[in-house]
Amino acid sequence: MSPLPASLPHENGQPVENSVRQLIANGKSKIALENAKQFHKTQQSAASESLLLDAYQARIQALLDQNLAGEAKALVDLVRERFPAAKMRLETVGVAAAARAGDLAELLRPLNDAELSPERRAAIEQIIQTQVTDLNALSRCAALPAEHSLRQAAAALDRAFHAVTSGPVTEEQMALPEVSHRSPLAGWKLLIRAIACLYRGEDAQCRDFLATIKPESVPARLVPAMREMLEEKGTTGLKPVERALLSQVTVNCADLRSALENLDRAFAEEDDDARILKAVNVAVRECKRSAPEQVALLKQIVMVRGVAMALDHKRLTAALDGAVREDAAFFRMSARAMEISDDQEDLVEACFLWDEFRRQALREGLFPASGVEMAELYLHMADVLSGIPANWLKHVQEAREWGGKPASAEERYFLFPEKLYARACVIDQQADAFSRWLRWATSQSVTKAENVAREWQRIRPQDIEPLLYLMKEAEKRNAFPSALSYLEKAERIDAVHSVVRSARLRLLAAAALRHLQQKKPHLAMEKIALLAALPQSQQGDRPALLAGLRALTYASSRDQAGATAAQKEMERLLGSDLSARLLLFGIAAAAKHSDPILLPETKSLNREQRAAIPALIARVVAISQDLGIQKFEVPTLYLKEAEAQFASTSASLKVEQIRALGQLGLLTEHPKLAWAASEAGLKRGGPAEAYFLLLRAQATPPGLEVRRMALAAAAAELGRFHRDTDTVDEAVEILRNPFGGDSPSLTLEKAREVVRRELASAAFPGPFKPGPDYRDLLPVKVCQCADCRRERGEISGPFDDYDEEFDEEADDDFEFSEDEMRRIFNENMPKDIPPATAKLLFEVMKETLLSGASPDEVMARVFPGGPNGGGKKKGRRNR
Amino acid sequence: MTANERLGVSTNASEEEIRAAYLSKVKEFPPDRSPVEFEAVRDAYETLCDPRKRFQAMLLSSAFSAPLVSLLSGHKARRNFVGPQPWREVLKTK
Repeated sequence: MSPLPASLPHENGQPVENSVRQLIANGKSKIALENAKQFHKTQQSAASESLLLDAYQARIQALLDQNLAGEAKALVDLVRERFPAAKMRLETVGVAAAARAGDLAELLRPLNDAELSPERRAAIEQIIQTQVTDLNALSRCAALPAEHSLRQAAAALDRAFHAVTSGPVTEEQMALPEVSHRSPLAGWKLLIRAIACLYRGEDAQCRDFLATIKPESVPARLVPAMREMLEEKGTTGLKPVERALLSQVTVNCADLRSALENLDRAFAEEDDDARILKAVNVAVRECKRSAPEQVALLKQIVMVRGVAMALDHKRLTAALDGAVREDAAFFRMSARAMEISDDQEDLVEACFLWDEFRRQALREGLFPASGVEMAELYLHMADVLSGIPANWLKHVQEAREWGGKPASAEERYFLFPEKLYARACVIDQQADAFSRWLRWATSQSVTKAENVAREWQRIRPQDIEPLLYLMKEAEKRNAFPSALSYLEKAERIDAVHSVVRSARLRLLAAAALRHLQQKKPHLAMEKIALLAALPQSQQGDRPALLAGLRALTYASSRDQAGATAAQKEMERLLGSDLSARLLLFGIAAAAKHSDPILLPETKSLNREQRAAIPALIARVVAISQDLGIQKFEVPTLYLKEAEAQFASTSASLKVEQIRALGQLGLLTEHPKLAWAASEAGLKRGGPAEAYFLLLRAQATPPGLEVRRMALAAAAAELGRFHRDTDTVDEAVEILRNPFGGDSPSLTLEKAREVVRRELASAAFPGPFKPGPDYRDLLPVKVCQCADCRRERGEISGPFDDYDEEFDEEADDDFEFSEDEMRRIFNENMPKDIPPATAKLLFEVMKETLLSGASPDEVMARVFPGGPNGGGKKKGRRNR
Repeated sequence: MTANERLGVSTNASEEEIRAAYLSKVKEFPPDRSPVEFEAVRDAYETLCDPRKRFQAMLLSSAFSAPLVSLLSGHKARRNFVGPQPWREVLKTK
């Protein structure tokens, strides 16, 4: 903007004055001053002089703001000289300009005046707070006596400021008792503490101090730069001096960050080795420059990843600029990297590395040799070994060497789970360790598991779990006295434990049945008496079962009257003759009772009686399941009748009854009954739907693998949703991939879709009605090897298992075309067979081959003795 | 996120450091205002208070497979002492 033109009409000065004041308000002090000078030259009035002085004042303040304190002071002196009357008016900017220029005398001198008004003192202190940047000058200002508190405070702050920016400081150095919180220099104290925190890495406290500095004070001028130091962001928006400070104080990690990102990319993309190694070298170099304390860790991580990627060790070490520090942390990372790799062979290496970690950690004193950490490490190593296929682990264990050198079994202890579990349990005799050991031993053999349970029981006699395990195993082999002895011990520990409470009933009932099997009715009666004495045996339908056992025992003792009375008691308790007979039939089968239990033929029953059969069977099966009676049977005719009646009567059954019937269907190989039960159960919905899906999966006929897997996966997911752990465990077992890969799984939404589709497809599946297609929900990769196909019931012909021996192309021509059959026939046919007979024999052979017999079998059958009188050919077919 | 990461302590932090970190996190996530975060913090503290669980967490840590730039996440950039002059230069500006 140009100065005020000379031709400007000045008769009415108001527009000019307004213009000048507007320019001042807009920060255009230079032009405002030129215009005011021009105006005053023409006007020479008091008003124009006042306007000029205001313009000077604005200009001086602008010069101060631009850090041109010298120029500001010179202008103040000039104005004072030209306008002596305006001395007072310029006092504030004048002293500020002098103070900024280092001349504090004029500013501070009034403070010696005891009569100084509070307003004037406040104004001076305001200038000290907002304008004085030179603490040293303030501390030495002769206008105040040396002992003046302001000089003392400034000197202390100057010393502290020098110290805090030059090296670590103590708390005493920062205490600064000379500076009160009311002092105009109080902001400096906060600044010095903020700087100390910044250097100590106490960033949060640093932020707190910065936040308390008054924004108009001089120390606040460092706040933006210090905030940038804390945030480590870009320096945009900072002044050059701030950027200079920032670059000198902080070390920029941007290059290191970029190098690390580049290295991450190289690893992720599995670039060629040269590119990875170059990226490694750059990253290590940058790390040494910007974050030297992280170099060792970076090198270790890169080495671990490099080994996992099979990079050349020598070249990698060279790229890392030297070997890595092989401390416990390094071995831990290496071991962990090995155990999470997809390669099962790496698990052996992982255990070796865990042992190296153990040795190094002991050397470094990370944990004691007999501490809980050591036990946890052994347990972890044992868990790692459990991921190795048994035959591969056995092979490694038998190698008798390690790393190419002979090594004793003790030196190779880390390859033997039992040694690891034993070491862990010796060091830290806690139940969880024994439980893990027992779980592993159970997967090995009953003998091993029982030994572990006995050891557990010996070391921790108050733990109930080993006793329950030993009891269960004894029960399995019908060693009821042993089982009852373990039960007694368990009862002494925890008599109200649910397994313990149900075990005595179950064991006594099983023992009674065992005595009946052994034709020892007097012993059976003893057990029945003990059973009857238990309060829980009087609950529900249990008295009926007791009566049934008594009936059988009397019958074994040839006490017909007793048997009849007991049977009558059963009828009374169950309210039905047919129920009593069904229960007696089942118990008699379990006890291998020789006398037949007669039931009326189902045909002879009336309609109502037949309709009641599913409910009756469900009831007696529930009784047998309640007492864990094995080999409980239901007459086949009644099962068939239950199957037939189920659809029309299922609505009246309880969910528990439907479950019992479904289970019976599976156990007795009546999958249609199980299927019908699953349908009825699924229709009910609710928490049992997971169980009924599982039941359906178990009842699915062979050959429908995708449907079976979809049902099991849905059962597992819904079981998790309903917290039905038993169902989840069984479903997971069906889904388990025998080769250790991922098992199929469904989301909850997809599991519900399975339920919907199953409800829409009630019919029992068969070859021509396979039911819903689940390939959209569950892309199951079913193993096509002969063993798995046979297990799934998909191999019907004896040639099917040859499939894996041939490639896909060969399979295409491996069908028995008529030409092929004729060729085989002609090759094997004796020469003297009449054509009519040969034609007949060929038809026989064709039919037999198509039915699934092998060519060798067929030829041996068609031409006993072979074409040349030879025997049956052995081995696989050669083509 | 591991228990150590949740509380922001190193794998070899002492019990005092763990407790201090826990109390600091509880202040950050009080149970009445951030119940979910508080639960996670408490679980992490319980894990780290139990020597067995703490050691298990350490054994199972796979921090080495995290992006390498994470090395800088807890890293405090070095700060050089440069004397008072560069600081004063900033103070002189307005």
